[in-house]
Amino acid sequence: MTKTATPQSSGGDVRLHGISKTYGSFTAVHPLDLTVPAGSFFALLGASGCGKTTTLRMIAGLEDPTTGTVELSGQDVTALPPYKRQVNTVFQNYALFPHLDIYENVAFGLRRRGIKSVKKQVEEMLDLVQLGPMARRKPQQLSGGQQQRVAVARALINHPQVLLLDEPLGALDLKLRRQMQLELKRIQTEVGITFVHVTHDQEEAMTMADTVAVMNGGRVEQLGAPADLYENPATTFVANFLGTSNLIEAEVVEAGGEELLLKAGDAKLRLPAARCSASARTGEKVLAGVRPEKVALKHGDDAGSITEGHNRLPGRIKDASFIGVSTQYVVEVPGLGGELAVYEQNIERDGRLVPGAGIVLHWSPAHTFGLDAAQDIQAGADLDEEAA
Amino acid sequence: MTPAITTSAPAPPDGPAGAETPVLRKTPVRKRLVPYWLLLPGILWLLVFFAAPLVYQASTSIQTGSLEEGFKVTWHFATYWDALGEYWPQFVRSMAYAGVATVLCLVLGYPLAYLIAFKAGRWRNVVMILVIAPFFTSFLIRTLAWKTILADGGPVVGVLNSLHVLDVTSWLGVTEGHRVLATPLAVVCGLTYNFLPFMVLPLYTSLERIDPRLHEAAGDLYARPSTTFRRVTFPLSMPGVVAGTLLTFIPAAGDYINAELLGSTDQKMIGNVIQSQFLRVLDYPTAAALSFILMAAILAMVTLYIRKSGTEDLV
Repeated sequence: MTKTATPQSSGGDVRLHGISKTYGSFTAVHPLDLTVPAGSFFALLGASGCGKTTTLRMIAGLEDPTTGTVELSGQDVTALPPYKRQVNTVFQNYALFPHLDIYENVAFGLRRRGIKSVKKQVEEMLDLVQLGPMARRKPQQLSGGQQQRVAVARALINHPQVLLLDEPLGALDLKLRRQMQLELKRIQTEVGITFVHVTHDQEEAMTMADTVAVMNGGRVEQLGAPADLYENPATTFVANFLGTSNLIEAEVVEAGGEELLLKAGDAKLRLPAARCSASARTGEKVLAGVRPEKVALKHGDDAGSITEGHNRLPGRIKDASFIGVSTQYVVEVPGLGGELAVYEQNIERDGRLVPGAGIVLHWSPAHTFGLDAAQDIQAGADLDEEAA
Repeated sequence: MTPAITTSAPAPPDGPAGAETPVLRKTPVRKRLVPYWLLLPGILWLLVFFAAPLVYQASTSIQTGSLEEGFKVTWHFATYWDALGEYWPQFVRSMAYAGVATVLCLVLGYPLAYLIAFKAGRWRNVVMILVIAPFFTSFLIRTLAWKTILADGGPVVGVLNSLHVLDVTSWLGVTEGHRVLATPLAVVCGLTYNFLPFMVLPLYTSLERIDPRLHEAAGDLYARPSTTFRRVTFPLSMPGVVAGTLLTFIPAAGDYINAELLGSTDQKMIGNVIQSQFLRVLDYPTAAALSFILMAAILAMVTLYIRKSGTEDLV
């Protein structure tokens, strides 16, 4: 860490060193090292109970870490109580003060720091979140979305080095949630403060954050840009939790070149060696993965027209559901034991693709990723549905 | 009165007919009457045990006569002025004792309620039971027990004397000489003790309802713990403070047991006067008039208090 006399723009970076939290015999967070760069929008993503909120609360000072240290902009704040940290939180259910009006809620932090003339700042902040005319209302007279914006305003007005958001959109309905996601992203870009956002909603994390850390069982499974996580999941948990993945158990038949040759059932699949996160020597098992939207369907009669070099799997449509922008198929592939999901865009619909039809699945080998076969193939698959 | 209710209270839910015709239909008359049937027992109770005695008492207060010749309503309102003129010191004393006892209850009860609500953890129920436990014995016996505790030769007075506490309290005028019994201090202590649970319970209820995340939010917004209490916890517990002070002050102002058992003639409260007028002097009109004056005085003070504390904003 370089020590400079000049203060950072407006955001600060967060560094967690070996931070952990145990309650009795239960470990909520395993020793964790994490760096959130200044000015970034960082998301902690995971199902409930994965330790993401505990991590956030340790940054805020609301929870004392069992081991490890928290650093804000290079300063060790582990021992500081929350009211001495340059960090503000947007709480899950907003935690607005019900006895104070919106204006006083927003002014709370400024007044506590002994700032006398708060009027201008409060009004500016209320304008930023478009709540100027609501200033004298009480929180319970506002809608969920408005309360959420008050909570953001109340935290942001203090110009914290880091803004922590604990499932801030969880209580809103879908449409409002989408709107607030864009709104929050806009505010973050405008003020340049570091945002650490905790959510169980993978879409939310991917829409808003620059960097996503996927947490599971008190550990960070994978960290990276949303597109990178989606395209190159490193574990089955990430593959299943972030969107949907088709994971196929396969055996390495040929290794060494730029592409690995795999055998799954009777079919041969090809996988770019660079996209395989597991060691893959000949004879070893790997999980070959492919995202449902990357897979195309061809009716069995047209199998000849499939592009040369594509991975192919013959199967039978078990179920088809039309959802507007796409049609989602469940396909049974004999010899693999499992079912694969395919999302086909509704551009030219083939009338023969109905349940029961014999088809061939095919996709470009470049879209295949390889995972260590020692993991639970189902990890993270049910959690997403439960959380959403 | 009860048979009439029991026969009609379980209103037939005329389900099948309603289920078959899901079209908008007026609620049947019998169904619309259900709320009134449910109100009936309460209303009857109020009529018989509250309104009727009140009217009877009001008429007694404007009667004249004697026990031998009987009392007659003569619209003699002068009884009120005479009663007030003669017994105003007891009125003032009642309000003062009740006021001091209420403040003491709040000072003692708030930390206790706070502890139970936020800090007691798994001991919460145990502490709650300790607060309620005195109710298992009669009010009278508990007050009599205090008479023994505060007895002149007892250990409490002994300790207070050796620490010269009673010298200070005597100088303040709340005790006399080297004793506690038969002094204002004893009466106020008795009132405080007897009404403390009435303060603690509503306080606990309103403190317990406060979302602990509000404390976290205040801390997060740079409020140190003392500021959090002043700006968030205390304002949010105001409904409990108001309810607790009312539940303490109102019965304490009308109480006579504590003054009777722990005080002397110099500590008589208005309750003692009313009691003796009714049961010993048998001057019913004066007793009734005093009751009404007490009621009016309490009502006026309570109204003023609620206005001042602005609880409408909080509930």
